[in-house]
Amino acid sequence: MDILLSSIVAGLLIGMVLAIVALGLTIIFGVMDIVNFAHGEFLMIGMYTGLLTAQATGMDPLLTLPLAAAVGCLLGILCYVGFVKFLLRGPMIAQLLGTFGLMLFLRNLALLIFGSEDRALHHGILVGKSFDIGMGIIIPATKLAAAGLSVLAFWGVWLLMNRTKIGKALRATALNAQGARYMGIPIERMNALAWGIGGGTVSVAGALIVNFWSVNPFMGLLFTMIAFAIVALGGFGSVPGAFFAGLVVGMITEIPGFWDFFTYTFNLDWMADVPMTSFKYMWVYLAYFVIMVLRPRGLFGWKQ
Amino acid sequence: MALLEVKQVTKAFGGLRANDDITFSLETGELVGLIGPNGAGKTTLFNCISGLHPITSGEIIFSQEDITELKAHEIARRGLARTFQVYVASGDLTVEENVMVGCFMHTRSRSESKTRANRILQFMKLQELSEYLVSELPAAAQKRVTMATALGSEPKLLLLDEVAAGLNPSEIEEIMTSIKSVHIDMGVTVILIEHVMELVMKISDRVIVLDYGKKIADGNPAQVAKDPKVIKAYLGERYVKEYAEKLA
Amino acid sequence: METIRNALDFSDFPRIDLIGAGLVLIFLLIFPLLPLSAFAMATMIQFLMFSIYGMGWNTIGGYGGQVDLGKAQYVGIGAYTTSVMLIRWDIPFWVSMPIGVCFAVGWSFIIGYPLFRLKGHYFAIATIATSLVLKDLFEAWNFVGAARGLEISPIKYRPPDFLRLIFKEDIYYYYVLLGLFIIGLFYINWFRKSRLGFQLRCIKDNENVAESLGINVRWAKVKTYAIATAFVSVVGSFHACYIKNIEPEDTMSLSISILIALMAMLGGAGSLWGPIIGAGILIPLKSYLKEWLGAKAGLVGIDLIIYAIIIMLVSAYEPRGIWGIVEKVRRRKRR
Repeated sequence: MDILLSSIVAGLLIGMVLAIVALGLTIIFGVMDIVNFAHGEFLMIGMYTGLLTAQATGMDPLLTLPLAAAVGCLLGILCYVGFVKFLLRGPMIAQLLGTFGLMLFLRNLALLIFGSEDRALHHGILVGKSFDIGMGIIIPATKLAAAGLSVLAFWGVWLLMNRTKIGKALRATALNAQGARYMGIPIERMNALAWGIGGGTVSVAGALIVNFWSVNPFMGLLFTMIAFAIVALGGFGSVPGAFFAGLVVGMITEIPGFWDFFTYTFNLDWMADVPMTSFKYMWVYLAYFVIMVLRPRGLFGWKQ
Repeated sequence: MALLEVKQVTKAFGGLRANDDITFSLETGELVGLIGPNGAGKTTLFNCISGLHPITSGEIIFSQEDITELKAHEIARRGLARTFQVYVASGDLTVEENVMVGCFMHTRSRSESKTRANRILQFMKLQELSEYLVSELPAAAQKRVTMATALGSEPKLLLLDEVAAGLNPSEIEEIMTSIKSVHIDMGVTVILIEHVMELVMKISDRVIVLDYGKKIADGNPAQVAKDPKVIKAYLGERYVKEYAEKLA
Repeated sequence: METIRNALDFSDFPRIDLIGAGLVLIFLLIFPLLPLSAFAMATMIQFLMFSIYGMGWNTIGGYGGQVDLGKAQYVGIGAYTTSVMLIRWDIPFWVSMPIGVCFAVGWSFIIGYPLFRLKGHYFAIATIATSLVLKDLFEAWNFVGAARGLEISPIKYRPPDFLRLIFKEDIYYYYVLLGLFIIGLFYINWFRKSRLGFQLRCIKDNENVAESLGINVRWAKVKTYAIATAFVSVVGSFHACYIKNIEPEDTMSLSISILIALMAMLGGAGSLWGPIIGAGILIPLKSYLKEWLGAKAGLVGIDLIIYAIIIMLVSAYEPRGIWGIVEKVRRRKRR
């Protein structure tokens, strides 16, 4: 029973963080229909930003969030204005390969600058501490904080999109770019803004994640794929969709835990030996495939 | 027996009935015009008949076979071809290759397909343009190419969707001649959507009029032109009231 | 038979193309006899491999316009089938390779049908997803050596072994591969003139038009996807015998899938020569960049940075690839 509960809790917590990773992707996709392969690299850069700032200045890692946000935002805008803008004219294959090139570029730039070893945070108010809430569930403080801040960030973005004029403009562009143009909305700026928000949010996610996950230049792709799965499930372009889908995907990554619970409770020892932990992310990819084939609109999305 | 029977076909998009309880039939050898104000549901009707949209209710019978549930390519294989209003050419297909695709429906051989395609191109007077990419051609020629492509599949029934749109008077003459010769020389039954009244009225045996998704008239061109419902649909109720005496 | 005539007939190309192709062919034939380094030979073999990968990809990705970024899984199926069959049951290459193709094509039909419900980027990402799923499965499957992979030790066999494709010198591998390359070229030449080829090009142009001309669009895509898979699987099998050491991370990774698509696109997706040109530029570039720059301490990754920049430039400025530029210029001259 303990395993089940702690798996559920762990799944939800990580889910909330994964949700914010996907948020940026769904916004960019909603506003301009381009698939950003480099999304995970922004996360990775956010992680390095958080880590290095904390290590260099001795600040608590949680305080590095605004800096990570700024860096991510700027980087996003820069990538749009300097490169992605030109991809939009071309056929889809060019866009796919273009953002893939961007991914390779950022990844190897990071490799060049930071080297390939894993780096992790070792100090900070919350690092290494955890709460024991009984029933055998232990929650690391960092994960809890990350989840909490993630929910906050979601709420913030939701407010931005639904309660501000700029948010409305963004949504208008997402629904119908041509129409938005006729209404006087500067599409180019909206696109850049979308990339700014996208880059900023995922970078913040990175700075949160680095509290409990070590960073190396190669981890971007995994998160990109997870983000894709979340966005597909939640519906391309939907902010609340990204949140709920994030929770679901978070639970999917906890399948090894559920599996253990299942095999243990029903005494299925022969199944218990399957090395489910190696398959943790495979289920996520599989989920993407199944969702897209069966229900491409996802839970809340309007785009198909 | 009728070549095409459309029985009480309704196509609804959510609450909007793009086609509302439409019934008519087509005999082999007819040339029928389908007209109506913008948004009346003409292209939707074509989409339903050719299998691109599933219909909400009703039946469509083609050559005595119920094609209501069939997919677009299955319907096409039974001898029903159509042109599309918006031709999106991402194309690297030349004019000849375009027509060949249609011809490939009846043969696997490239040389055979090429021969048949060239025959059609000659018929449509597109021979000299055969090596050009469709996207390189002027609008009028592109329209003739879409017709030629549809003819490649050797259809019994051809649905033409606004092939005269955007053409100048001499080009309209040209395409009118093409349509007539397709109809008479190739023996294809034709139904065409048109806004260019002169074209439709001159060449159609019969005209069907749609308005707001419903069929409001069905008869020979002269009858339809005088039908008050048709006039109201195109010109509006106020105009009709104002000029009532003149129309009587 | 017309099929064979179509495959062998290149006459619809302008003469200059044929002369160029002829020269390249002669160069390829005599290459191993030239006094060049082993490194150059290895690069050429890579070039031929990726040309064939690219030619296969080109059927569905170039002519068909469906961007498939998951071909690496079929490299894996081909490579592993051959390796496992050789190591466990001593089955020669010429038997295991077709069997690998059967597995690969079978798998491609199973996932192809649902896959092609999707279009555009959704399709592309789904292909990545399926490839990663298979890779993860292989990484955990002990029968195929899990993450460690499999190793074919040449000592067990007596090279040159033409049945099992185990050789000591690269030159044998080269000529076998060249043979496969030429067969592949003829096949694609047939393909682009075949009914399926025309259907695909029409599909790429406008799927609704294709449907209205009697083409069963989904089925045409699935069939072509299977053809592309077969190409990739054959080279995968070859790869196993050549490299003799395969593991999921370098045989089935996303990078391989992307490289395949990239080369075809750079050279000109949708044309016969495109993938070959693309491979001809990117493979030597990649190899030599790595040699000159990668090995220098502290500059790890710079070769890939340059590589990435090239990808980015091509995507932004000339998505139709090199052959696309050539054709554009030709059309303009004609008018």
